[in-house]
Amino acid sequence: MTRIEIEMDLCCGAGACVLAAPAVFDQNDDDGTVILLDATPPADQREAAQEAAARCPTSAIRVV
Amino acid sequence: MVHSQAAENPSAQPFPTARPAGCPFDPPAPFARARAECPITPLRYPDGHIGQLVTGLETARSVLADTRFSSLPAGKRSPVKVPGSELSTDALPAGMFVNMDPPEHTRYRRLLSKHFTIRRVRELRPRIQELTDRLLDEMASASGPVDLVQAFAKPLPTLVTSELLGLPEADRAEFGRHVDVLFSLSTTGEEMQQSMAILGGMLHALIAAARKDAGPDILGRLTVETDLTDEELLGITIVLLIAGLETTTNMLALGTYALLRHSEQLAALRADWSLMDDAVEELLRYLSVVQIGPIRVAAEDFEFEGRSIRAGQVVTVSLPAANRDPLGFEDPDTFDIRRGPSRHMAFGNGPHQCMGHHLARLELAIGYESLLRRFPRLELAVPPQEIGTREMMVTYGVLELPVRW
Repeated sequence: MTRIEIEMDLCCGAGACVLAAPAVFDQNDDDGTVILLDATPPADQREAAQEAAARCPTSAIRVV
Repeated sequence: MVHSQAAENPSAQPFPTARPAGCPFDPPAPFARARAECPITPLRYPDGHIGQLVTGLETARSVLADTRFSSLPAGKRSPVKVPGSELSTDALPAGMFVNMDPPEHTRYRRLLSKHFTIRRVRELRPRIQELTDRLLDEMASASGPVDLVQAFAKPLPTLVTSELLGLPEADRAEFGRHVDVLFSLSTTGEEMQQSMAILGGMLHALIAAARKDAGPDILGRLTVETDLTDEELLGITIVLLIAGLETTTNMLALGTYALLRHSEQLAALRADWSLMDDAVEELLRYLSVVQIGPIRVAAEDFEFEGRSIRAGQVVTVSLPAANRDPLGFEDPDTFDIRRGPSRHMAFGNGPHQCMGHHLARLELAIGYESLLRRFPRLELAVPPQEIGTREMMVTYGVLELPVRW
């Protein structure tokens, strides 16, 4: 199963994750930080979530 | 001290700035040689300091994500003397979060990020399109060749940024003139300080006006929604100007030049506009206009990728070099708009990664596409060898781009 962990202190609100995996991540309108829409996304979202993690400038996303 | 440092590192090279003859889009050749040796190599600074140069993609990513490489101004120096680099940083206003480390930096970043989210930026699309079309109308009314830098590449980001900050139309011309001075090659330290003072005065007046009558622009929102002081707002505004104007202007002009010099790529784009977003990404990677820095200072002694880093050592990352790393990109020196998704780092990496990247991408996509659609026969009005480039500036680009249609 795919599980996503976020280290909020690291998030700098770049929004790269939303572009890579819009079904899994959104961006908070108040401070730009990540909103995890689905902490255990279906298998077909795993690749996109991994791409989001790789594109996060502060490595705040972990896909386990 | 300087001499002993240099003696320890006889191999340390100065930072190269000369572009290869006839190849204005390629980074200086010594970067590739340094990268082939090691992604991080000793670098000699103009005052004799021996620091590090980062040319490899993954190492560049790691350095910028590692806050032991500090962004604080103490001890920071430019690897080359560029206009303004001799100015003291002591008098910088508060709020210049580019010179901060987390958690202080994080506070400012979070207050500002809401204005640069994907959703917010997408809302700006119709207005950016309108400003773009207006500039192109003016340009089309000229009969002879025009300089694309002055007619389009400079005014578009200036207009967009002015609106974001709420700068009244009446002040934009004077504002633009002083911003020009800051970014001009021929500016002396004295002229720069003078224009900084005038711009500071204009921005203070703008902030005072926003406090009295807050508009929907970023400054207006910040005065209402945060407890930032005037001094902090001034610093933030300066950062937004420095980050948003020169980079986008040079990407618009140099990007157009690159497309005009790669006719097969341009034809492919004209035949299929759905390639536009990929073309923007490839132009960002291939051109990497931020050519000096980001610069960091080691905050402590530590081992990094097998190398001893000493506290106080200055580390310069070369984004143009990183974005041509063969370990990160196939045929890195080939400009190919059909390359597909690439993890380039034209916007940097780590907590300081460009906050305006969604906005920059949108301005570039609208700018290139509108320009090329409006002028189906756009071409250079002078031979390529007459087009001068900005080698000794933080941001690379063309000095002028005479075009006709």
